[in-house]
Amino acid sequence: MSTSVAPQESVLSPKFYEAMKALEPQYPRKTALILPALHQAQSEFGWLPKEALEAVAQYIGVHPAQIREVASFYTMFNLKPVGKTHLKICTNVACVLRGADDLVSFCEKKLGIACGETTPDGKFTLSEEECLGACGTAPAMMANDDYIENLDIPKLNDFLERSQHER
Amino acid sequence: MPKCTIDGKEVEFKAGENLIAVAKKVGIDIPVFCYHPGLSVVAQCRMCLVEVEKMPKLQTACSTPATDGMVVKTQSAAVKSARESTMEFLLVNHPLDCPICDKSGECDLQDNSFSHGKSTFRSHEERRTYVDVDMGPVIEKSMNRCIHCTRCIRFGDEIAGIREMVAIQRGNNTDITTIDGLPLQTEYAGNYSDICPTGSLTLKDFRFKKRAWFLKKVPSVCTGCSRGCNTELQYENTTVHRTVPRFNADVNQYWMCDEGRFLFRDTQSKDRVVEPRLGAVPATWDQAVESARQIIATAKSVVVGLGSDLSLEELALGQTFAEELKKAGVAVTLGSLTGAVITTEQDQPLDALLRRADKTGNLKGAENLGLKPISEQQSAKAEVLIAVTGGRVRVPASNGRTVAIGVFRAQDTEKFSVTLPLAAFTEKDGTYVNFQGKAQKARRAVVPAGKSKMLGEVVMVLKNVQIAEKVGA
Ligand code: SF4
Ligand code: SF4
Ligand code: FES
Repeated sequence: MSTSVAPQESVLSPKFYEAMKALEPQYPRKTALILPALHQAQSEFGWLPKEALEAVAQYIGVHPAQIREVASFYTMFNLKPVGKTHLKICTNVACVLRGADDLVSFCEKKLGIACGETTPDGKFTLSEEECLGACGTAPAMMANDDYIENLDIPKLNDFLERSQHER
Repeated sequence: MPKCTIDGKEVEFKAGENLIAVAKKVGIDIPVFCYHPGLSVVAQCRMCLVEVEKMPKLQTACSTPATDGMVVKTQSAAVKSARESTMEFLLVNHPLDCPICDKSGECDLQDNSFSHGKSTFRSHEERRTYVDVDMGPVIEKSMNRCIHCTRCIRFGDEIAGIREMVAIQRGNNTDITTIDGLPLQTEYAGNYSDICPTGSLTLKDFRFKKRAWFLKKVPSVCTGCSRGCNTELQYENTTVHRTVPRFNADVNQYWMCDEGRFLFRDTQSKDRVVEPRLGAVPATWDQAVESARQIIATAKSVVVGLGSDLSLEELALGQTFAEELKKAGVAVTLGSLTGAVITTEQDQPLDALLRRADKTGNLKGAENLGLKPISEQQSAKAEVLIAVTGGRVRVPASNGRTVAIGVFRAQDTEKFSVTLPLAAFTEKDGTYVNFQGKAQKARRAVVPAGKSKMLGEVVMVLKNVQIAEKVGA
């Protein structure tokens, strides 16, 4: 614990500061640590509240706006709370050609939410995603950190049913 | 010196100069948006594409340094078509609301569209829209007009020293903003509006006040602090509408601070005293001059304080006036009136950019003329204090009577026996010496407000009365 440099008032845990300390020597400048820091911070909350972004900014030593800029650029950072299962359906060219649009509308109908929204029970968040790099197995989606590929509506339906009943 | 050829013209250049700067030397303007000579080069708008012989693709002139023997074409068919495409792309989301946009008439987007764009447009897509955002006291943002050139972001980061403007989201959704549209923190916010090549970042003070093409312009110098930023006063008839910075490599580069930018507003405020006064009561020039003359004529000793916010010419005139009083047999103590900073040695920079602690424009000039600050004691004990100011220095309290000649607010004048209103910095020509010792000339934009007069005239009327008396006697 002696390596912890967590400021008293930080919303981020000492674990965050330890992890960063370990990474620091691998990067040329502190600003190069913004992405790993955001991933680490997100792992603590499941999303990135304003206070977490500010704590990251303070740690890196830049204006909080610069952190917000980076966090808002990448779709893997959540600036709003997300459901237990975060569905990210690729709607880039290859996937759309293979029916990704239908998958999105199927989810919207089944879950009763639009893209970018979370179900009232907090179980699902639905997002569109730019290329997941899985064009060979299109259409593809991510459910939290897992890839699910070669999707069709029955397969998607099964997955949603199963996740629905998981606790 | 190495040479290159641009549109058939040979140009000499210094190593490292980019094609935009080199082309300018032979009068060739390459259109730009993201490039600004005071900021880093990012080459992202693609407006400046030019053809360079032996290079397979068009090159961005802003990021291409000239090399010896380089042959550049800025008017070829390929360049023209690239410009047309870039313009079409940049206008995809632009509302084309020039008729209600303050930038209209001085807008790079408008000018480049007119000169290099096509008059037809293929997009039928809906344009993205945003509501305007109030970004604090200085700037209002109309994001609809933004073309993502990132000049503002770079200005904040590289010049103002605060990266408060950022690009949130990406692609078509990119929003150039502060966090949640928070007010801008920098003391240099006005520059955001100057450098924005579109009407996206507008100066609140200027919004919907005046079309740019009605403005007349004179070179001036800011008297807000000892930096002496070079400025341009933009006015119509008797009203100054805006101050913008004027480039000076050694003094202020392309920039100025907000305090200096809005200094002209004080000169047009209702609060400014623009008629002579006896105490707090308005009077005619004849009454006031007569009263001032009486006060001076009956005094055995006077203290003459000349503000370090006056021009060199005014200071010299004040000195002559004091000399003449001396010759007339009055005991005169002559010195300067200053702001909180009383000598140039105490003058410090307030930040890493421009602002300085001495909030008057000519302290160095006053010192060069041999004027020493009048002490609190001297002014307190003065039988008569003649204070001449440009509106930035403090008139010290005196137990005697005060004849105040200068730019004042109503509440200042109550404690003066006589107030004679003087032309403000926008209303007179003059020279000011900045902290570096540079003597810089400011030109007059508008006529003196109300009944205020130039110092020369004030001194003359004061003396004329005396002369008339002597002649009559
Ligand atoms: S607001 Fe103006 S300066 Fe800033 S990116 Fe947009 S167009 Fe450029
Ligand atoms: S830095 Fe000083 S001289 Fe320059 S604009 Fe500001 S007040 Fe005026
Ligand atoms: S001015 Fe060269 S790319 Fe923008």
